[in-house]
Amino acid sequence: MIKKLVTYRPSFTVRILAGLISFIAIIAACMVAGVADLTQALSTRDAIYRSRLIEEGARVYMDQCSRCHGVEGKGIEGQGPSLSSSNFFNNRVKEVGWNSTLETYIAAVTKSGIPLKSSPVWEVTHPPFLDRFGGPLREDQIDNVVRFIMNWKQAPIDSADVIEAPKPGEAFAPMPTPVPLTAAQEEGKNLFLSNGCNACHAIRGVANGAIGPSLNKLYEDALKWIASEEYKASQGKATTPEEYIRESIVNPQAFIVPECPQGACPAGVMPPNYGDTIPAADLDKLIDYLSTLGRPAE
Amino acid sequence: MSVIGKRFVDQVKSTGWKSTIAQRLDDGFTRFTAGLSWNDVRGVLRGDPAPKPNPRVKPHTEAFWFHIRPTFYHEAVTTLYPTFRLGLLSAVFFTIEIITGIFLMIFYTPAPERAYTNMLDILTNVPFGSFMRDMHRLGAEAMVIVVTLHMVRTFTTGSYKKPRQFTWFTGVVLLVVTLFLSFSGYLLPWDQLSFWAVTIGTSMADAAPVFGPTVNLLLRGAPDIGAGGLLRFYLMHVVLFPLIGIIFVAVHYYKVVRWGISLPPEMEPIGEDNARKVPPDKRVNFLPDIATNEIMYAGIAFAVLAISCITWYNAPLETHANPLATPNHTVAPWYFYWLQGLLKIPHIIPILPGPIAGALDQFFANVLGLTPKVFWGVLVGPLVFVLLFAVPYIDPNPSRRYGDRKIMLTFGGVFAALILYLSLAGIPTGVPVTGFGYVGGTPPSEIAQEFMPDEGEGELMTIPFEQMIVGEHAVKPDANVPDAPKLNQVLAEVYHSMERRKATADPLGQMLNPEATASVKITQIQPDLKQIAIIINYLDTNGVTQQFTKYKFIHKESGRAH
Repeated sequence: MIKKLVTYRPSFTVRILAGLISFIAIIAACMVAGVADLTQALSTRDAIYRSRLIEEGARVYMDQCSRCHGVEGKGIEGQGPSLSSSNFFNNRVKEVGWNSTLETYIAAVTKSGIPLKSSPVWEVTHPPFLDRFGGPLREDQIDNVVRFIMNWKQAPIDSADVIEAPKPGEAFAPMPTPVPLTAAQEEGKNLFLSNGCNACHAIRGVANGAIGPSLNKLYEDALKWIASEEYKASQGKATTPEEYIRESIVNPQAFIVPECPQGACPAGVMPPNYGDTIPAADLDKLIDYLSTLGRPAE
Repeated sequence: MSVIGKRFVDQVKSTGWKSTIAQRLDDGFTRFTAGLSWNDVRGVLRGDPAPKPNPRVKPHTEAFWFHIRPTFYHEAVTTLYPTFRLGLLSAVFFTIEIITGIFLMIFYTPAPERAYTNMLDILTNVPFGSFMRDMHRLGAEAMVIVVTLHMVRTFTTGSYKKPRQFTWFTGVVLLVVTLFLSFSGYLLPWDQLSFWAVTIGTSMADAAPVFGPTVNLLLRGAPDIGAGGLLRFYLMHVVLFPLIGIIFVAVHYYKVVRWGISLPPEMEPIGEDNARKVPPDKRVNFLPDIATNEIMYAGIAFAVLAISCITWYNAPLETHANPLATPNHTVAPWYFYWLQGLLKIPHIIPILPGPIAGALDQFFANVLGLTPKVFWGVLVGPLVFVLLFAVPYIDPNPSRRYGDRKIMLTFGGVFAALILYLSLAGIPTGVPVTGFGYVGGTPPSEIAQEFMPDEGEGELMTIPFEQMIVGEHAVKPDANVPDAPKLNQVLAEVYHSMERRKATADPLGQMLNPEATASVKITQIQPDLKQIAIIINYLDTNGVTQQFTKYKFIHKESGRAH
């Protein structure tokens, strides 16, 4: 059997026939490939690779952008505006006077950033994300992020908690006049900065931290949480906003706020020892300052 | 009116239109074939016996392409054995690579910003683009296999012996050229697969003492692979290695014709080479027999390749190269697995007991600056090729008979077995029997890698989009999520994989604790985009509860479901 195979010498007819059949098969294969490409295959592959680029964009967005613009693109108070609302898709280009498409606008802002504090309401500049401009991302990654953001256009999110960017006219309106701080409260504000609270918490005009919950409306939030079912079920014992703030600093595990810039707040991230490291008098000033945030005018 | 025109007119006048045109066409045809008229060629294709005098010999003296080929072969080498047509097939694949390569070159720019986009363009915008790329890629893999087999058969039949030592030498050069051609082409798509395979490959050069960093710098154009490295690999791929290849193919084939294709060993008197002394009754003329034979084999090879590319083969294209993220289980191209296996040998003298071998390693490291990786990967690895080059010169035995070459054939067999063993050790899962070469991570990361690999596709990613039911699903054997048979099936598979890892330790001795649980969490991100996460709760080696999470985004139209 093996000997037969090994000494096989195809006859002339076999050679010509096999050669002809191969030749026809090659032509046929090329035609199949060509016809497939010219009818459906190119667009099928196009859809496949286009959608895989969106997947890649989603990954980069979640790593880099969701911190300020939210995982659902709804925007985060004090951090960044919504990227998924119909307002964003319909009006943004006109509002900012961009002379091209929304895709290129998103790409331009993401790549080169917004260098001036052109929006006093937001109090943030947009950092440049392109590696050539000192950012962490390659151009193709940013292009994929643009694809991902534009993919919201088919079903924009317009729920009530969407944070819209200010309108052009409003953007230059003065910040809401803050309650004048007392000397003790000023000291409390400095303690907020010197103890590093600003690394994780945001206060409009003071700090941009995006790890812990935003403190913009702390007083209002405190009232809300104290009254909530979640709080009653937790170890929290506060009855007034001041007590609530003190408890959050001294015993941060007592109650974990469910809303953080990057989704649910994780437990055990806030250091539990501020009660020991901050002297009692300073702690009072800090709480005095923090309780002015979001406190309704009297 | 020109002289020729007058003659043409005269001829028409004397013999008529039809015969004049027919004769003129035949004249042109004969000039084109360097001596064969139309009827001669028909005779060749019909298999007619050669007329006397034989006009089919004339092209071998008159024409360029035919003068390269011998006029006749010995009958004994026209059967499948002893050549198996492997040399011919190497040339066929080389030609296919050149043709498809030129096609791809038209659409490709060797720059990191453009290369991957060009690949996507070739696949999604260029008619025949995907087909050509598949052919180029599969043809390259086939060429590595065919060239290697060609060498194996030349070794086995002892055809490297006098007077063919130099033919063998050029052949080994061509093997190296083939490997480097394939390897340099690996980088060009600029995806994760290619980037990291080539990073690993060039890191081997980097590890070499004294000249290693310089070679690495020359190859990459910078400490890491970037724009410079891509351009250099491109130039090596399209200019340097093809040029060396074409030159050495010319020398190689000249030597083959010069000495003739060696006869089967048993037909040759020991120590004599009579391949060129073909008795007239043993001659098989190139035209028509050898030519049709070769066209047939070339056609079959080409057809098999083309049909493979439109049916089962799709050249992989992973995500864009990312120098900051190394995918799990990154490997060199398969034909360099053996080199990776060498790099995994833990000691310079591994047969000694561990402590002694370790002490010797210390000694070598201190005295010579020689680590096991450098010793095995950089000194022993290239030695394999030195050994191949030297084969005809270290084998003094003049006989080509199998029975007389027991030592050399045993040596060759052991060598091949060693390469295969090292290749197995080179893949991340290591050699199944001994566990040598296993480089897995912790059990949870291995489970995640199994069902949701960093690059490529896993079972969790191939669930149809509509069966990815939003919510958190516990991993269990009888998962029963409504309307999601594939999801349930995968949940059960993850469960069984976990049970396996709870019951048996991997080669590193790691096991999953019996209480470990897992779940698959699916979140809707956008209407046509979902996030699928695998979450594994387990105890680490310190007995601390840990959670392992890995996630992917899956688009509705990503074409993964099957």
